[in-house]
Amino acid sequence: MAGMELLERDHDLERMAAARDQAIEGEGRLALIGGEAGIGKTSFIMRFLGTSSTKLRVLTGNCDALFTPSPLGPLYDIARTLGGRLLTQLESDAPRAALFSTMLDLLRDPARPTLLVIEDIHWADEATLDLLKYLGRRIAQAHALIILSYRDDEIDGRHPLRMLLGDLATSPAAIRIDLPRLSVEAVRTLIAGRSFDATALHQQTSGNPFFIAEILRDGGEGIPRTVSDSVLARIARLDAKGRHVLEITAVFGSRMDHATLEAISGGDMEGLAVCMRSGLLKMTDKVIAFRHELVRDAILADLDPLRRRDLSRLALAGLKSCGAGRNDLAQLAHFAEGANDQAAVLEFGPAAAQAAAAIGAHRIAAAQYRRTLAFAADRAAAIRAQLLENYAEQCAIIDDLAEAIRARREAIELWRQAGDRLKEGENLSALAWPLVRSGQNAAAEEASRQAIEVLETMQPTRQLAAACRMQAHLRMLDRDRSPAVHWGRKAIELATRFDDKATIAAAEMVVGSAMLVNGDDNGLQHFDRCLTLARAGGMDDLVGLAYLNMGSSYGEQYQFAKAEAVLSEGIAYAQDCDLDHSNNYMSAWLALTKLYQGRWDQAGNHATAVVECVNFTLVSKVMALVALGRLRVRRGDPGAEAVLDEALDLARRTNTLQRLAPVYAARAEAAWFAGDLERVAAEATAAYEIAAAHRHRWHVGEFSFWRWQAGEEVTPPGWCAAPFVLQISGDWQGAAKAWQDLNCPYEQARALADGDQSAQTQALEMFDRLGAVPAAAILRQRMRDSGARRIPRGRRATTLQNPHGLTNREMGILGCLVEGLSNAGIGERLHISPKTVDHHVSSILAKLQVKSRAQATAEAMAQGLVAQNREAAAPK
Amino acid sequence: MPRYVIERSFPNGLEIPMNSKGAEGTLKVVARNADEGVFWVHSYVTQDKKKTFCVYDGPTPEAIRKVAERNGLPVDRISEVRVLDPYFYL
Repeated sequence: MAGMELLERDHDLERMAAARDQAIEGEGRLALIGGEAGIGKTSFIMRFLGTSSTKLRVLTGNCDALFTPSPLGPLYDIARTLGGRLLTQLESDAPRAALFSTMLDLLRDPARPTLLVIEDIHWADEATLDLLKYLGRRIAQAHALIILSYRDDEIDGRHPLRMLLGDLATSPAAIRIDLPRLSVEAVRTLIAGRSFDATALHQQTSGNPFFIAEILRDGGEGIPRTVSDSVLARIARLDAKGRHVLEITAVFGSRMDHATLEAISGGDMEGLAVCMRSGLLKMTDKVIAFRHELVRDAILADLDPLRRRDLSRLALAGLKSCGAGRNDLAQLAHFAEGANDQAAVLEFGPAAAQAAAAIGAHRIAAAQYRRTLAFAADRAAAIRAQLLENYAEQCAIIDDLAEAIRARREAIELWRQAGDRLKEGENLSALAWPLVRSGQNAAAEEASRQAIEVLETMQPTRQLAAACRMQAHLRMLDRDRSPAVHWGRKAIELATRFDDKATIAAAEMVVGSAMLVNGDDNGLQHFDRCLTLARAGGMDDLVGLAYLNMGSSYGEQYQFAKAEAVLSEGIAYAQDCDLDHSNNYMSAWLALTKLYQGRWDQAGNHATAVVECVNFTLVSKVMALVALGRLRVRRGDPGAEAVLDEALDLARRTNTLQRLAPVYAARAEAAWFAGDLERVAAEATAAYEIAAAHRHRWHVGEFSFWRWQAGEEVTPPGWCAAPFVLQISGDWQGAAKAWQDLNCPYEQARALADGDQSAQTQALEMFDRLGAVPAAAILRQRMRDSGARRIPRGRRATTLQNPHGLTNREMGILGCLVEGLSNAGIGERLHISPKTVDHHVSSILAKLQVKSRAQATAEAMAQGLVAQNREAAAPK
Repeated sequence: MPRYVIERSFPNGLEIPMNSKGAEGTLKVVARNADEGVFWVHSYVTQDKKKTFCVYDGPTPEAIRKVAERNGLPVDRISEVRVLDPYFYL
């Protein structure tokens, strides 16, 4: 668009300038610039850069329109411009985390405010998207403005970029700019003196600036129908040499350097000058590029397959002769395929896949293996089997489970044919994972068993250790404690012999989970060993998983205080490492722990955050929906039914006890408040058998409780969770005490509601304090029906907002405690005697169930009591 | 976006003076609502000013409660509602 006026962009340029000025001051910003191809994103950015101070550092990276882009391509672009640490790290294969943090350090340098431009991120590889997510989430404290451009019409709902945009756009540091099409008035201005009809031109081009410029530049006969027609008309006027350069450049990519073009075209650069003059190509000091990607699109679409193959051969040979480096592997594989060169595909495909996988670009790695496999049909079984195995591994990571299972099965068959028992066993064990993740538990079990059988016919190997770990994991997921511990210990013992730290750490986690989830706190030692090994070995994912399992195991056992401590620590870790799945799943569980402990506002906040997250995984969403559903049911708020229906729909897809049981239990509770006892019984029976088969004491306990509430005769098994059994057997005092010990105030009140009049009065107070409107209303009615005379009215709103029933005065004093004031100091501020203060403090400690002022302060901060009630806390 | 009716009780009666101070108060409520995407359509107040029925648009009941807390407003009950127009049937 060089040379053309930039119209109707002033307002957006002003927004960019404001963002830039904030960034320079150390309030980093992120600009997301979207619009269709040809709308003028690059022109807009160039204009903006042109108006910015030359003292700012500008770093630029580009994403290529390759089917398998070069992983971290934009970072390479930047590193080549900058040199220094980033380049050294890239060239020495430094871990991804190190690269990311180096880039962040660059953006945080207050001495060098930076404009970081990455264009066309709809083509970015996953590693680049991860980098952008990492930088975007941390931009607020940087001295930088990140500018990202993308074609918004090329990203559908499941495009990986959608997830990133959803993630970044909610950040207060982000501004979003959607460049609109030009108006008729703008078109008229652009036509200036030329003899075009503005309305017709506007209509034909839909106001697309590139298309308009293309037609105006052509200066000619009528208006072509499409962008591509107008580009091709211009190309048709070039001579043969010019066309050759243009086509080879198009096949090569969006841009290439002079040396490469010279190598590919055999030194014949004559055509280049023609292309430059025609304005189809542009040149900077280092690279030759298309004036616009749409030009390249038009040329490629017009190229016949044979010509394209020949050009790919030239490109492949040329690039090889230039001494291609590791970040050229993706391109080499791409040309090899285009050239239909089997040997080259088999050489570069797997190499490119490995390089991609190493920096976390697993989607690309899988695509590279798939491309290679298409060329490997006539190769030896062992070669194909190895490719399939690697392909399956990448598919499992990117959650293409069906493909992972298919490839793994084919690999197993090929290894069997090749007579390699070790590989056969290794792959059988690996097959179990995608199977269990897609809900095919029986098939997973079968594969895992077979793997061990095959591997046990040989001397012990590290493969056997891994197979034992897998079997342990399956048993743990099924909540079969003893077999899980047995196989896990065996895996640890074997893996220790081979010093296989990853397997040891994973097995320790499985053993720890199996123990904790069955109420055995000795599991903690195993978690500690797992965490130590995983942290030392840089196994971030495993650290996240360990916290996740530990926290949810405690949660499943109703040990909410412990669960909360672990989950909070785990969430902090997951946030640091961008482990989104772990973070979400732990947040969902945190919502549940808050709910059970009577901190309903916080439960709502955490659950909503997970439910609204774009990039959710099914299991996280189920647990968050359960928390939200229960919260709405207990408050009597609308919308409970909808979220519990969705939860059931998702839980059925996993078809596991871990998801079905919490959902059915929540639905039974909802049905009870709806007064539909038949449905209560049905919901509480739906997953009863599976829960009983796993001897899950809490799930069976709650199901029994609801069936009893629905009027069924129930005799809960002896191993069932005590608080439920006590209440069913009529011991409401015992049940209430048990719930109190577990710090579950709502459940405690529900037990007290079965008691005598004073217990019911206490229950009513607790329900009111929690905001449990329906339970309180039902209890009030019951008390009236039984002739009770003094039924307390609901509490005042200010007291309702803290779950401990602190009075306004007590809230005020708690606020002073948090500030660190002494009794004398508090007395002075509130104009009361220190003795009265002392009296209030004792009352606060009792209500918060803590022993010291320091603990009270900690609780107040942790529960947000002070912030929540800031107004009430202010002295009057 | 769902529409809700929120019932609130004011034991001492709700007083919003018909002057700039009253306007300031209600505008503050409107501004805090906006943080959570909540919109106060209008309210019905009983003669004794002890109970209000507030018509709100908002994303979720949790959002409604969150802004109620920030505004120091009590919440007795939240119901999701739809319009019934008697003359639609004529």
